[in-house]
Amino acid sequence: MIAVEELTKVYGNRAALDRVSFEVPAREIFGFVGPNGAGKTTTLRILAALLEPTGGKAFIDGSDVTKDREKVHTRIGYMPDFFGVYDQLTVGEYLDFYAACYRQPKQRRSKIVDDLLALVGMTERKNQQVDSLSRGLKQRVCLARALVHDPAVLLLDEPASGLDPRARVELREILRELQGMGKTIIISSHILPELTELCSMIGIIDNGRMRATGPVREVIARLTSGRRLHIKVLEDKEAALEILTPLPSVRHVESVNGTIEAEYDGDERTASDILLALTQAGIRVSSFAPVDGGLEDAFLKATSEEVG
Amino acid sequence: MNVATRALWNPIVAKEYRTRMRTWRSPLAITIYIVLLGGIGWAVFSALIVTSTGFGQGPGSLGQMLFTFLILFQVALLAFITPALTAGAISGERERQTLDLLFVTPIAPFSIIWGKLLASLSFVVLLLVISVPIFSLVFLFGGIELDQVVSAFLVTGVTAMTLGFIGVAFSTVLRRTLAATVASYGAAFVLLAGTLLYGALFPTEVDSNVTTQPAPPAITLVSPVIPLLTIATNLPVSGYGVRIKNVNPGGPAILNSSGAPQYCAPAPTGGVMCTSQSSSSSSFFAQNSATAIPTGLFTGWQYWQASVVMQLMISLVALLFSALMLPPVRRFRLLRRRAPAAPPA
Repeated sequence: MIAVEELTKVYGNRAALDRVSFEVPAREIFGFVGPNGAGKTTTLRILAALLEPTGGKAFIDGSDVTKDREKVHTRIGYMPDFFGVYDQLTVGEYLDFYAACYRQPKQRRSKIVDDLLALVGMTERKNQQVDSLSRGLKQRVCLARALVHDPAVLLLDEPASGLDPRARVELREILRELQGMGKTIIISSHILPELTELCSMIGIIDNGRMRATGPVREVIARLTSGRRLHIKVLEDKEAALEILTPLPSVRHVESVNGTIEAEYDGDERTASDILLALTQAGIRVSSFAPVDGGLEDAFLKATSEEVG
Repeated sequence: MNVATRALWNPIVAKEYRTRMRTWRSPLAITIYIVLLGGIGWAVFSALIVTSTGFGQGPGSLGQMLFTFLILFQVALLAFITPALTAGAISGERERQTLDLLFVTPIAPFSIIWGKLLASLSFVVLLLVISVPIFSLVFLFGGIELDQVVSAFLVTGVTAMTLGFIGVAFSTVLRRTLAATVASYGAAFVLLAGTLLYGALFPTEVDSNVTTQPAPPAITLVSPVIPLLTIATNLPVSGYGVRIKNVNPGGPAILNSSGAPQYCAPAPTGGVMCTSQSSSSSSFFAQNSATAIPTGLFTGWQYWQASVVMQLMISLVALLFSALMLPPVRRFRLLRRRAPAAPPA
């Protein structure tokens, strides 16, 4: 549905995007994660045909975004990371205006607006002024606006930023519903856990480069392959270090504040092997805890690594 | 929806009308406009009544004077209002961050500009229409024909339109509304007063032995002031934009102040030979030969016609410029960008 090939965007002599490639099959929710300034918005703007790439290609439903701009615009619903509301317009009029811009016939527009307001749960606010709404409600109106022409693809730039947890849960439900309606969705965020529950695929971008992309489980497994242990021993710490260091599964060992931190490759069986090696050498282990670095750590690791 | 309807009515126009007329600013602007125009009309009228015995030309000239003041004041008012209406057209959307949202719709960038212009200019038309009752007072005194009013309103409307187009062009290029507003007022000043100043500083130079009434430089006619004066007074311009060189104290420096324009050439026998141009052979435009432009680029045209044509040309340039500059991904580039360098490995 969405294919990005070697996308490059250069501003001056800084590469905002450096040969970014990924693919999103139809009906998937693709989470696009990276720190601020990593190139998420640039990628989404290129996909929305608002920006011309310096190099590479991007396709929405088979249409080249630099060539078939009109076709792309009818296929995508774009929600930028800002609201973009007019004053002096009610929610209903605001949506009707964009429906008219998307050339929806007049007879159908009021039904479209009502359906969308029901979808985002704002039916009772139809006659309220758009710019008087709270942040969460504006976000919902903007999502509804991106849907007025029933696009097959949704590009959502930071839709959850600045939302309270409750609004976030509601947004998640709406997105699930949209996925059920057969839409392909790209969501960007700088918070990885926010996306892992929601997305079927993720891509991690940093400094204009794609670090990892694929189904959520795969990417997480790949990122969290280097596990960590916190080990406390009663007396002979030096001896413990001597045992741990030569083990083939252990990548790195150091002593921090009386605790031994060990990084290893493998699964829980490997961890138990490490414990076995220590106890067999007669070292009294008082605490042996796998550190759940979690996604956030993995994400930080992925995005801070120097490129070799 | 056929093509014509779509050209004249796009969603942007409807939205602009809505948001514009919902604020208190629009009724206020209309009220101030009418009060000022009515006020100047009343003031001129009172002043003329007091001194009318001095004129000794009857109510007809009074009507003419009143009309002259009103129409010039109206142009000045519109020169203040139009930039304010249009300078925020595109930059306002940009500042509100709604421009990208319009760009992702199938609406063409040209339609965005056109919709904005249409909405602003219909407000100007509204102002012109509601000023009609004030102008109709002039007919109480006479001295002004309906065709003069129509052509004066046409010139005024075209001037407002030109200023509107320029405002939108600045709004497209300069990203901030404030900058666009300042630039638009600057442009309005240049258009109305700057061109007149040019005529005063660099007038048409004529030899004293040429007896044709010369015209000021064509560029001064971009300003609607001279055309409006000729419409209102029904007299050709004199004493502006013309400098007489080689004043010969012996020979008479005859300036044909009225009547048909004459073409003069030094006669082979010496002296000057003049031929009056008959009005039947003149161009389609010259209905009133007294106020036709005697020399220069627009010879034989009415002053207001030359003004309208030049302003329309400026508008067209401004419109094309805006349409070229607005799209986020431009089809034509002013400077061809070099091929993308290989990204740093």
